[in-house]
Amino acid sequence: MQLEKFTYDNKIVRNFGIATIVWGVIGMLVGLLVAMQLFKPEMNMGNQYTTFGRIRPLHTNAVIFAFVGNAIFMGVYYSLQRLLKARMFSNLLSNIHFWGWQLIIVSAVITLPLGITSSHEYAELEWPIDIAITLIWVVFGINMFGTIIKRRERHLYVAIWFYIATFVTIAVLHIVNSFQLPISFLKSYYVFAGVQDALVQWWYGHNAVAFFLTTPYLGMMYYFLPKMANRPVYSYKLSILHFWSLIFIYIWAGPHHLLYTSLPGWAQSLGVAFSVMLIAPSWGGMINGLLTLRGAWDKVREDVTLKFMVVALTAYGMATFEGPMLSLKQINGIAHFTDWIVAHVHVGALGWNGFLTFGILYWLIPRIYRTALYSKKLASFHFWIGTLGILFYAIPMYWAGFTQGLMWKEFTPEGLLKYANFLTTTLQIIPMHILRAIGGALYLLGAIVMTYNLAKTMLKGKLVANEEAEAMALEKVVAHEDPADKKWHRILERKPMKFMVLSMIVILIGGMVEMMPTFTIESNVPTISSVKPYTPLELEGRDLYIKEGCVNCHSQTIRPFRSETERYGEYSKAGEFVYDHPFLWGSKRTGPDLHRIGGKYSNAWHYNHMLDPTSMSPGSIMPPYPWLITQKLDTTQTVAKIRAMQTLGVPYRENFDAVAQAKLKEQAEAIAADLKQNNIEVKSDREIIALIAYLQRMGTDIKANKTTIPSNQ
Amino acid sequence: MFKQIKDLAGGEFYLIASLLIFMVFFIMVGIYLIKMNKTHIVEMSNLPINEPQPNEYEEV
Repeated sequence: MQLEKFTYDNKIVRNFGIATIVWGVIGMLVGLLVAMQLFKPEMNMGNQYTTFGRIRPLHTNAVIFAFVGNAIFMGVYYSLQRLLKARMFSNLLSNIHFWGWQLIIVSAVITLPLGITSSHEYAELEWPIDIAITLIWVVFGINMFGTIIKRRERHLYVAIWFYIATFVTIAVLHIVNSFQLPISFLKSYYVFAGVQDALVQWWYGHNAVAFFLTTPYLGMMYYFLPKMANRPVYSYKLSILHFWSLIFIYIWAGPHHLLYTSLPGWAQSLGVAFSVMLIAPSWGGMINGLLTLRGAWDKVREDVTLKFMVVALTAYGMATFEGPMLSLKQINGIAHFTDWIVAHVHVGALGWNGFLTFGILYWLIPRIYRTALYSKKLASFHFWIGTLGILFYAIPMYWAGFTQGLMWKEFTPEGLLKYANFLTTTLQIIPMHILRAIGGALYLLGAIVMTYNLAKTMLKGKLVANEEAEAMALEKVVAHEDPADKKWHRILERKPMKFMVLSMIVILIGGMVEMMPTFTIESNVPTISSVKPYTPLELEGRDLYIKEGCVNCHSQTIRPFRSETERYGEYSKAGEFVYDHPFLWGSKRTGPDLHRIGGKYSNAWHYNHMLDPTSMSPGSIMPPYPWLITQKLDTTQTVAKIRAMQTLGVPYRENFDAVAQAKLKEQAEAIAADLKQNNIEVKSDREIIALIAYLQRMGTDIKANKTTIPSNQ
Repeated sequence: MFKQIKDLAGGEFYLIASLLIFMVFFIMVGIYLIKMNKTHIVEMSNLPINEPQPNEYEEV
């Protein structure tokens, strides 16, 4: 054996670190903007590029994929090299990974405000960007596995298993959730429709939380926490048990996002059962982290990085206790669609992801710059203002969630809805939304102070771009020499590829059990003969609904509760969504559900409401959409869209594409003529006409009386 | 609370089969853990803290 000299690449770690900080501040700033839009509609700034519907996905994408994403790569690139005693496989791949990821983020910043969106939550980016994500993810994978192959440490530490599971699962999730049929360069339709699309989306959405926001962070926790506390992890056995259980169970839990919807009951129950079980492996991780600090709690008082880690682990524990509780149908019935869910995710995002990232940044930047942190006092200030920010964020949101969830369900002794007007429940929680924005602002202030503190630290020190290290070269092992080496996990720890395949099998089981019957057994999605495909104009209107991000505030699925059927109408059936590519059920009701909006109001009502929502609903916090009235509807792709729908199995009659334009025009003129009766002069080729057509169609297929109220009545 | 898991109108098969799959998986991991070599565990858990730490610049 010979001692080899090599260097660790700190420059790439630094680059990802800076990107984490910059995108973090930007993402949080956009978050603060959307938070303020919910109590001050003027903050939508009167133009289409900054309305809530378009900006909210920008916030979620920025904090998840830009802030957390860059933080993951920072943590992985730092810890992987040291745990494997090897430099990253390729400098070129590292750089392609870094710049490619930043380009993807920039493309999101450009396309989302333009309304270029697929509408799948946390996967809004259109297909060319999806392909770019896949390529860059593969680059990351090659770089990681290349490093693993040329390692100088035989066994893979538990953190690396989490990184491998992250890599393989995100790849599977991203690819399956991106099955889209492109119509043009920046427009596509999802291959799956309705219930099936919903199942795929929430299988993805839930596991993006699991394998982007959780497993890589657990891996980072298992490396950085022992380093910070200078003691080994509490129980290595527990880490193995909780790793395998976590990745096995997590993948099943997606349907808890679809409780009481028209997803088959057995799939919902599977989601509930596995969500409840999920508390065990999640708490296994939290307990393992917190107990690593046994006998070192005195250090927590002194060391700000450990303070951040302790709050992060506590927030992780709280969020993962709450998740299973929210999956119980009785609790979900009140919490779903309310701010309770927003509070839940932000305990995870601000507490777990945010604080763990800050802790690592405060520990790592001084080390790669060979200096001490510029100011411990400022870091301590960041810790306290950040903690206060989380409390000011979460508590009002819980309050708002309980309040609104219960108000929606309250009946008078006479059996009528006590708050029949949805807006009453929205206005009730405005003070809570103001407090939430204050919480967010405090948290952001902390992040800005950190930026200053770390910038000063970087200026004070000097980056050790290539840190020197030495280790013994790895010798080839003949397995039968040592009987203990035959144990399968020890073999797995040495065979990363087999490890990857095994973890992939483990994560595939749950998804397959849930999806295959839903996709193949017809009785799971019963069809309804009166449900017909959308007309060309309605289809264009639906695409405008997607473009404006209406789904961010309005659901399209009525749950079978009396409080909902009284308020909105007949509950939603699986067969009603069979032509919905993509599904638009939504996950939050900032405004009322829209599934039965069709025929409820006149065309004129919708026209006036879109022009100025407060004219129809005084006090409404919905932003006005005047551009829909002035902008001409783009019908250049209508024919292509009809053809694409035909390809996806929507039963338009043969050669329907040839008459699509004429049909569109005919229906648009009828709506314009109806509006004229109410003295509304609008050209029939404007966007508003298509949107009205879609809104008036929604949920009417199973109604006996499908006529729309004339606008002059 | 258990009604939603008990009454599935024909869907019980999925639930029972899934739980069985998990139980088998969990027991396998459990058996492996019990049989694990103790010295190897100590060696593995010390991996992150064994390498030298450049923290001499940190103020105490």
